Parts: sequence; structure tokens; C-alpha cells
Amino acid sequence: MRRMGALVVACAAAALAPWGAAAESTIRIGFPMPLSGPAAVYGVPVTKGAELAVADINAQGGVLGRKLELLERDSKANADEAVRLSRELILKNNADFLIGTLTSSEAPAVSTIAKENKIVFIAPTAKTIQLTGPANLHPYIFRLASNTDIEGRTGATLVARWKDVKRVATIAPDYAYGRDAVAAFIDFIKKARPDIEIVDQQWPKLGQSDFTPFINAQMGKRPDAVFCDVYGGDFVTLAKQAGPLGYFKAINYRLADGGEVGSVDEARALGADYPFGLWSDAYDPVVWSGDEPPEHKAFVEHLRAFTKDPYGSGWAIMGYSAVEALAAGMKKAGSTDSDKVSKALLGLTFDTPVGKRTFNTATHETDSGEFWGEMVKDEHYPFAIMKEPKYLAQGPLTN
Amino acid sequence: MPASFLFGQFLGGLTTAMFLFLIASGLSLVFGVMRVLNFAHGSFYMLGAYLAWQVVQWLTSSGYGFWIAVVAAAAGVAILGGVIERLLFRHLYGREELYQLLFTYALVLILGDAAKAIWGTQQLSVSRPAILAGGVEVFHTVLPFYNLFIMALGPAVAVGVWLVLTRSTAGRLVRAAALDREMLAVLGANVGVIYTGMFVASSFLAGLSGALVTPIQSIVPGMDVEIIVEAFIVVVIGGLGSFWGTFWGSVLYGQVLSFGILIFPSFSLFSVFALMAVILIIRPWGLFGRPVR
Amino acid sequence: MTVPWSGNRIPWTLMVFLAALWVPWLGSRYDTFLGTQIAIDALFAVSLNLLLGTTGLVSFGHVAYFGIGAYICGILMKTYGVPFALALPAAWLGAAGFALVFGFFCVRLTKIYFAMLTLAFSQIAWAICFKWNGVTGGDQGLPDVPYPDLDWMSALPGLDGLRVSDRFYLLTLALVAVSLAALRRIIGSPFGRMLTAIRENPERAAFIGVNVRRYELAAFVVAGGFAGLAGALFGIFNRGVFADYLYWTKSAEVMIMAILGGMEHFWGPVVGAATLVMLNQQITSYTEYWPFVLGVILLVLLFAFPGGIVGGLVAGVNWLRRRGGGRQSA
Repeated sequence: MRRMGALVVACAAAALAPWGAAAESTIRIGFPMPLSGPAAVYGVPVTKGAELAVADINAQGGVLGRKLELLERDSKANADEAVRLSRELILKNNADFLIGTLTSSEAPAVSTIAKENKIVFIAPTAKTIQLTGPANLHPYIFRLASNTDIEGRTGATLVARWKDVKRVATIAPDYAYGRDAVAAFIDFIKKARPDIEIVDQQWPKLGQSDFTPFINAQMGKRPDAVFCDVYGGDFVTLAKQAGPLGYFKAINYRLADGGEVGSVDEARALGADYPFGLWSDAYDPVVWSGDEPPEHKAFVEHLRAFTKDPYGSGWAIMGYSAVEALAAGMKKAGSTDSDKVSKALLGLTFDTPVGKRTFNTATHETDSGEFWGEMVKDEHYPFAIMKEPKYLAQGPLTN
Repeated sequence: MPASFLFGQFLGGLTTAMFLFLIASGLSLVFGVMRVLNFAHGSFYMLGAYLAWQVVQWLTSSGYGFWIAVVAAAAGVAILGGVIERLLFRHLYGREELYQLLFTYALVLILGDAAKAIWGTQQLSVSRPAILAGGVEVFHTVLPFYNLFIMALGPAVAVGVWLVLTRSTAGRLVRAAALDREMLAVLGANVGVIYTGMFVASSFLAGLSGALVTPIQSIVPGMDVEIIVEAFIVVVIGGLGSFWGTFWGSVLYGQVLSFGILIFPSFSLFSVFALMAVILIIRPWGLFGRPVR
Repeated sequence: MTVPWSGNRIPWTLMVFLAALWVPWLGSRYDTFLGTQIAIDALFAVSLNLLLGTTGLVSFGHVAYFGIGAYICGILMKTYGVPFALALPAAWLGAAGFALVFGFFCVRLTKIYFAMLTLAFSQIAWAICFKWNGVTGGDQGLPDVPYPDLDWMSALPGLDGLRVSDRFYLLTLALVAVSLAALRRIIGSPFGRMLTAIRENPERAAFIGVNVRRYELAAFVVAGGFAGLAGALFGIFNRGVFADYLYWTKSAEVMIMAILGGMEHFWGPVVGAATLVMLNQQITSYTEYWPFVLGVILLVLLFAFPGGIVGGLVAGVNWLRRRGGGRQSA
């Protein structure tokens, strides 16, 4: 028994030993992001984008004379894991800032960690309005992504445009993102088209492996159109299971998906199995027919060279711009102190490859929309391409 | 609600059920004979899926690529199961159930990471075999050929296993081993070979179901720990150790899931857990199980 | 084996506790973080070991009560603003209550069937927490559980300069110490000895007129209550409660803690929890394949050291003592 006690003392002593001293030379950015599982379809390219920005900034000498260091961790799209990693990044790895999380379940959880530790946290992709809602807003949280209100309203505008549609169904993952976006969609579609009836709502979980019962139940209600928020690997599963059941054909491909299944990343994951003809969104259409801005063209070329990938990504831009925004904030503040940087970020305007964005001083958001369009076959690409991408923000569709 | 729609929902539930039966049957067999819940059964299922994907990649040109992959994956997993049983698991037979359970959990941890190291963390998928790509319309419901194939395969496997268990000498020995291992050994039967055979057969079924699921589901890390819960529910509902209980347990699971989603969409997956709760309260030994104390 | 705490001239447990009290002053923020985690895991693992080691019941669903405690405390504190002093006992009672209900069904079965039933009930609890969006937050969980109001600590001498996380560490340490002392008392009591007797030979215990099931159920409820207490502390420590706390793999993890330290000894699970937390944070610095490492550790334990760390040490010490004794007598 005595030896046992000694062992416990030894363990306690080991706990007291210092773990890794703080490295003052680099500015450390903790980066929890889903790098495995269904959400990795988006999480991996976001990480690549952030890596590109860090490489670019470091090539030009870093920020305030210090290099940036990205501390990547796999959050598995899981709030519990994201919280654990964020605390470890702050306490053990001395991260100066946090950028990351993909989903709307991870981001609000990590936001509370950022608040507690007074560390600036930029969420590049999480869309739930709750993240920056009045109850949860604090000085250190910033959102680069669009939000569920904007997405739901844009989706409603698109569906409302299909004049003969009377019966609408929704299918969305059962957590903040899906619930908030569907609520916004329903709210707005009822105003835009009072004649439309919501006939069915399905709530599969994030990471659902079998969508068949959901699809069958929804088809039974005979909707004319569907608003969908299933995304990433889950949409791959959905499309592969729903296609043979005749789901998309039954609604005549009148499906608007707000979950960025219009991104090149999703289109590539599905290849020929893509349900061509549906409408969806992307932060970066990548293939941009018409008046493509030169800086976007340069960014896509740069990304392709960096990732040694012939096509690019609709998601890399979010990781890239989040790092660029943080760097701009540090430069403006002249410091890496989160209190100063968070003040500098408010109202800050920064460049992104698809145009300027500004952090709203009241909401800490960029109020940005996304590119929407019909997903079609294109002989130049082995995957679906967004036809005539249009940037849609708050307002209703104008054409 | 139109009848054709209810029919469609029923068929959907049946497809889910037969997939689950293919997975749960192996779990049930091993439990029936060895009295251990093999958590690694889910890992074998996952390895079956990854192996099938791998073989399909190698055989892209062959028209029968998918079918070769299914057989190869099931055989590969069966061999792995046999090796694990011979080298490691059999040393634990005399030990308490805690050690056996934790052993199978150790396999879950090791095989899960091994799959990650070999195939990465990205989601993978396999195309439907060309011969079963289409579908047929029954009662205004599209029924994909592939689902039809699974619906036929499930009962076929059930009847096949049942025939082996009841009509063959090996099957009789297996059933005897399930009842009284010591007595069988005294009578001169090689119990070790029976156990290895059971484990190989169970791993084969896991690998087979994992390979067969690839055309309709994505292959992702974590599919191992998730599927074991579903298979476990089926086995508990049907009765621990009861083979036909597992079959009818899957059928019930599929229908409750299918109609549960229809009636209470916002609870979706919860219906099967509620089913399990009700059954555990009324008959803790499951629908077809015998009360064991 | 519940060796009575006699014949020890040096009070090691008290010394460990006193040493651990200094962590906020001597260590970094990260040390306090690890210390809190170890203390909570230790209580969780010891509560499981009341079933596993003392009573011989293999509960594969012990996370259910940990999770239920975490949710009760988290929901009361976050949603209803109930003070910690009330939320914590509520979590303890709530978890014990659920253990009573689930345990009532589970103790009707034995051995592997008992294990399977506990697993099934923990899965049901998980499903409820995962789907009851309005109350538990569902898939997303319940982030931002507040810290308890620990301002009263600043009135105590020497504690006024501490961060809230350090104060919470001290509170956790004190609560865990009291809980462990209580559990030790329970195991050393006639009730605890009866549990051991049931583990050794349930038939004989039943034969001499002991209501085995009632004793097992009582042990199940006590273990569930303390697991709930650990869960409540963990929810606050982790700044949120998530359905993952109740996932079946977590049941296996806490079991590994108990078996790694040694189920035969009261302090075994404490050593196991401390070792596993340290190992985890060391190994994850080098490789992402922590589950693989854990799996290999588990295999080694199962095949080579079923007694765990403490079991191995005690065996080693006994061996040395025998050799030493032999020399002395010669």
C-alpha cells in the first residue's frame, strides 16, 4: 500500500512538470477542423486554404515581424472534441488565436472557450445565427461565413420563383445549422408565397449513414420541391441512396440545397452520381463563367499550384480569407494581443478573392451571401458545374 | 395515406432490416456459442467495406469487379478473424467476461486506427454493380434492383445458416458447444476447432455485409462503432443468442424505424431505442431469447 | 480485495491530497487543467470499481449515470440558473435515481447478460440525450455551462489571487476527496463486505439468506450516484455537456482506467485514471494514433498484467518482502 501511495505522488509530481514552453517566435493559430468523417469533404479544403494564406504571409516576412504557425487538429465535426482541442490548444500549445470549426455545433461550443480565455476566435464557415446572437455575442467571436438567416431567405427566394410549386418539403441535419436555416426558410417562404404548403420535414442526424427511410417518408408526402441542408459526405450518401429511389426525378430536380453542395469539392465527391439540375450554393464557384474578377482568377491559379490539384476548391477561400482577416486585424492593432486585435477587427474591411468584406461592428459578421446557381453537366469537367453563378446576399432574387 | 405509399415505406424498412440482419447474424452466432459480445464485429464490417473498395480500385476494368471484391473482402475478413481467434482470443476463454469484452474493444481501437492509417480519413464510395443499377416500379414505388437483391439475400443467408446449424454434424456440435462446452469436450469433440469455425463464419458475415453496403453507403472512419450499436439493438430485441430472434429482430427494427420516421419525423432514430426499452422492460431476455439468470 | 487501512504509519492519501492542493500555485494553467481532469476521472473510475472490483458486476453502461449527472447539473445551472450548491446534489440524486430504475431491471440478470443490459440502458439514455433537442440541446449539446459562484473563496486567506479555473480545481479536489473517503467507508462497512462476499460466491451468499439482488441494486445505485457527481463536475469543467458523454465507447474507456490501475485495490482506479490522462496527453503530442496505442496497452494488460499497475506493484513488493524475509530469517 505504501508503494502505491508513492506512485500516486510520482504521478502528481509528473503533472507539475512544465509541458512545452511558450515559443515567442511564432504567432500560433489554433485550427480545430473536421479532417475525418463526412464533414472532412469541406474541412480539408478549408485547411488547405488556411495553409496557403499562412505560406503567403510568411513568404512576405510574416506579421509584425513574426511568422505565423497553424496548429491543425481534427475536431471530427464533434462539439465535445472541438472544445477539448481548443482548450488544449490554448492551455498546452499556447495558441494566440483560434480559427476554425466547420459546423454550427462546434463553433458555439468553441466560442465559449474563446470568451473564457479572452482569445480571438474567427469561425470561417459556421452559419447558425445563434453563434453571434445577442445572448452569445462577446468581444472575441467573429464570423466570416454567411448565416442561416441569409441562407434560408435566399433558398426561399429561389423556391418561390418556381411558380407551379405548391407543396414544399425540407430535409436538414438535426442540429443548429439545419434547424435555424429551415426556420428562416419557412418564415420567408410563407411571406413570399402564402399559397405554398410545407408538407414534410425530415431531420436526419449529422453523419447519417442510411437516408432511405427519410427519403421514402418524404416521397410519400409528394412534395413538388425541397429545401435541403444536407451537406458534405452526408449529401454524397443521400444522393447515392435517393437517386435510385427516384427522389430527385419525382420532384423534377427542384431542390435547393443551402449546404454548399454547389462547391467543386462536393461535385467531385459525387462525380457522375451528382443529381444534375438541382440548385445550390458555394462560397467560391471556382469555375466562373462571365465577368470573373482578375483577383479571383489569380487566387484559383495560386491555389491549384499550391495544392497541386488541377481543379481547385469552393471551400479553400474560407480558410484563406480567415487567416488574411486575422493578419489584417493584427496589423491594424499593431499587436497580437487578443483584446487589441478584437477591437481592430470591428469594422475592418479586408480583401478576399471574391470581393471586399467588412466585419459588422454590431454583429461581428461579414453579412456575406454566397454564389448560387443550377448544377449542370459540363463536357470540360468530370463533375457538376454551377451554371452562371450569381452572388446572392440578403435581398430577394432580382431577375 | 395511399396504400402504395405504405407499401413503399414497408419495403424501405425491409431493406434496412435485411442489411442489418446480415451484420447482426454474425454477432448473434458468436454470442450464442461463446457468450461474448464481439465489439470488433463492427470493425470487421468496416474492414469488409474498405477491402471491397480496395479490390474495386484494383479491378476497375473488370465487369465483375464488384462481385469479386465482395467475395475477396468477405474472405479476407474471415481469415483475419480466424487468425485473431487462434492467436489471441482463445487464450481468454477461461477468463471472466470482462476480459473478453475488453479484448474485443481493444480490437476496435487497433483495427479502427489501422484502417485510418491504410485508407486515410476521407470518405470513400463504390458504384453500384452495372447489372443491378436499375430498378422496377411496383405499386408506384421505385424498387432498386440492388435493394431487391439484399432483400432476397437476407432470408437466403438465414435459411442457409439455419440448415447448417440443424442438419449438419458441424452444426449439431456448434449447438452442443453453445449449451455445454465442458461436456462436449469430455465427449471428445474438438471445441477449439468449433470456436474457430464460428469466429471465422461470423467474421465472414461481417466482411460480406460491409462489402455489400458500399454501393449505397459511404465508407468513413467511425462506421465501426456506429454499426455495432445498431446490430446490438437488433440482437437484444430478438433475444441474446437466438438466431431466428436476430432475424425477426431486424425485421421489427426496420419497420419501426421506417414507420417511426413517418409518424414522428422529429424523433426519427429514437423509435428503435424506444422499442428496445419497451422490450427490455417486458422481456429482458428479448423476444425469442430464453430467460437466463 | 479491500484491505483495511491499517498498519500504515505514513498517511499517503492525505499527503497526495495535500500535494495536489498546491498545483494552482506551483503549476501552469495546463497543470490545473490536467489535475481537474484526473480528479474527476478518478472518482468516476472508483465509482465503477465499486461494481467491477468490489461486487463483481460488469457494468458496461456506467457512462449513463455520468452523463445523466452532467446533464442534470448543466441544465439546472445553465437553463434555470440554479446555484451549484443545489444543482450538484440534484445531479447526484438524479443519477442515483436512474441507476435505481435501470438497475432494477439489470440485476435480474447475471454475468454477460447483466453487462449487455447495462449497455442497452446506457444506449437508451444516450439516444434520449441525443434527440431531446428542447432540453439537452440534442446533437449540439449544451455549451457554456457556467462555473459555480466561487467568489466566497476569495474571502479565504491565500485564495484571493486565483483564477476561476484554479478555484474550481480546488473545489473539485475537495469534493472528490470527500467522495472517495465516503466510498472507502462504504466498502469497508459491513455492507461493503457483503458485496465482496457476493462477488466471491453469490450462491453461498444467497444460501445464507442474503438478498443478493437487493445488495447488488444498492451497490448499483451508490455507484451511479457518485458517477453522476463526477459527471456534474465534468460538465462544468468541460464548459458544456454533450451527448457523447454517454456513448458506449466511453464506458469502455472508464473500464480501461479501472483495469489499468487495478480493480483489486481501492486506489487502483485512481492510479489508472492519472496514468491514462498523462499518457494520453504525452502520446497525443507525438502521434494521432492514440486509440491504437491504447488498444495495445489494453492487450498487454489483458494478457500479461490482469492485476493492473497496483496489482503488479503489490505482487512485486510481496515478492521482494518474501525474499527479504527469507534472508532475515536465514
